[in-house]
Amino acid sequence: MRAGGANSARLTARSVIPLVVVVVFLATLPLWVDDYWVRVWTGVAMWAGLAASWNIIGGYAGYISFGHVAFFGIGAYATAILMQPGLDWNFFLTLPVGAVVAGVFAFIVGWPTLRLRGAYFAIATWALAEALAQLVNTVDFTGGSFGLSTPGNAETGFFYYAMLIASALIYLIIFAVFERSRFGYKVKAVRDNEAAAQSLGINTTSVKLQAFVMSAALPAVLGGINAYWITFINPQSVLAGDITDQMVVMALVGGLGHLWGPAIGATVLYLSSTWLNAHFGSSTGYIAMIGALLALIVLFLPDGLVGLMPRARNMRLVRQMLRLPDRRADPGPDPDTSRERS
Amino acid sequence: MSALAVSDLKRSFGGIKAVAGVSFDVGVKEIVGIIGPNGSGKSTLFNLLSGTIPPSSGTIRLLDKDVTHQPAYRIARQGLGRTFQIPTPFINMTVRENLLAAAVEGEWRSARSRAEEVLAALEISHIADDLASTLSGGQQRLLEFGRVQMRDPQIILLDEVTAGVNPRLRQIILGRVRDLQERGKTFLVIEHDMELVRTICERIIVMDAGEIVFEGTFEEVARNERVVDAYLGRPET
Repeated sequence: MRAGGANSARLTARSVIPLVVVVVFLATLPLWVDDYWVRVWTGVAMWAGLAASWNIIGGYAGYISFGHVAFFGIGAYATAILMQPGLDWNFFLTLPVGAVVAGVFAFIVGWPTLRLRGAYFAIATWALAEALAQLVNTVDFTGGSFGLSTPGNAETGFFYYAMLIASALIYLIIFAVFERSRFGYKVKAVRDNEAAAQSLGINTTSVKLQAFVMSAALPAVLGGINAYWITFINPQSVLAGDITDQMVVMALVGGLGHLWGPAIGATVLYLSSTWLNAHFGSSTGYIAMIGALLALIVLFLPDGLVGLMPRARNMRLVRQMLRLPDRRADPGPDPDTSRERS
Repeated sequence: MSALAVSDLKRSFGGIKAVAGVSFDVGVKEIVGIIGPNGSGKSTLFNLLSGTIPPSSGTIRLLDKDVTHQPAYRIARQGLGRTFQIPTPFINMTVRENLLAAAVEGEWRSARSRAEEVLAALEISHIADDLASTLSGGQQRLLEFGRVQMRDPQIILLDEVTAGVNPRLRQIILGRVRDLQERGKTFLVIEHDMELVRTICERIIVMDAGEIVFEGTFEEVARNERVVDAYLGRPET
């Protein structure tokens, strides 16, 4: 019989060690790369945070949202509007406001739409995001289609790098806690079987709504940082549908419903598209290369890139190299109750 | 006080009366079996009692509280647990996580030790970290029964909990049912295994075409003409 305490300790170590490695790598990165790569990794951090936020509703709760850009846009506009001359809010104070507005919007939108499932939910969220983009295009206080500029700032590239890396790491810690929390288990239970979850006392409507609000508030913060970074926003830059597409693709490529999946997906896709663009960007051919890369991953790694590790660990050669016990030679526990097949 | 009191419960799907005016009581610590041919309304009755689907009419009282038309999660919180005819493990979660997902609200601190107790009682501690999707059908039924026990409900509905289960797992399940009964739990059991029904059920309700056609002990049921006609059938002469 395996000891639960020892397993928990192993699980915690398995989560914490990669996190420590990532923190050390990212904290020291500006010391040994030039400004260009600092900018690239700033982008990686932003997309990792966005994909991880989408993963809450798409991966853990099983509701594929195609309107998540709305929350990113709400955060961006909250920061831009509140920092306009006359209001002159401090940048840092605008971030929680954007998160709260996005959360309230998600609550209002989620109440009716989370009763839908599958393609219906996806279409409803896509339509709502499109409607929001059209609304922002037409009202005055958002600057309409002309957009808004944020006040000029003297912050260095390192400031945005630090902001976005800190946000992404805080999100990773939040998601690591979420994964093993009572709430996290409830969300995953609802995804796997809603009727069974209800029969176990789980208020599935409330759980779905909370997960949707949580997955909406986090991208709003990233939207606010992004607005301050790029100094000018309009509906095309912060409410475009392809922003959601990228969140979805990055989470899918990395691994849905997995703590590290979206971060890995964002890192691989952002770095590879940046590299391909730099080397083959004179034509649009590099986009086809990214498409081919995606197709290969989806075809051979349906669980995403996180599926590589367990698969590699099952290979005899890798097991020998890592000095892991051979599973096929392991007789395992009591065969009667361990692998009974009825 | 009845653990469960059902009065004139009805549920139709279009023109089909799946449950057509069912009334019965179940006493505290009683184990009551529900038998009947396929399509007689047994599982629909369980879905109505647990709030999975709402009744067309009638009343359901759980531990003297009216729970008719309440959503499933509220009924579960008031002390009713159930398993499903087709096992419903949370397949992307481990066995232990399945149990933790069922932890009672406000008792999260003790949930992990409670999960270890349930794992040990069902003799599945060695598969606690396995994904539920990798379990056999029998193990999935055991897991589902364990999940119900996490909430320590007063009334437990078991829908064919030993169907397709090997003799060893069957003994574990039956032993646990008896153990829980001794601790004051009430059971309502849908079963096709007549030997099991005879062994553990103190009273049997026979359903056919959405109605209760007979109620009594196993011996009385076995002697009843209508039950024999509806369920057991007669040998051709």
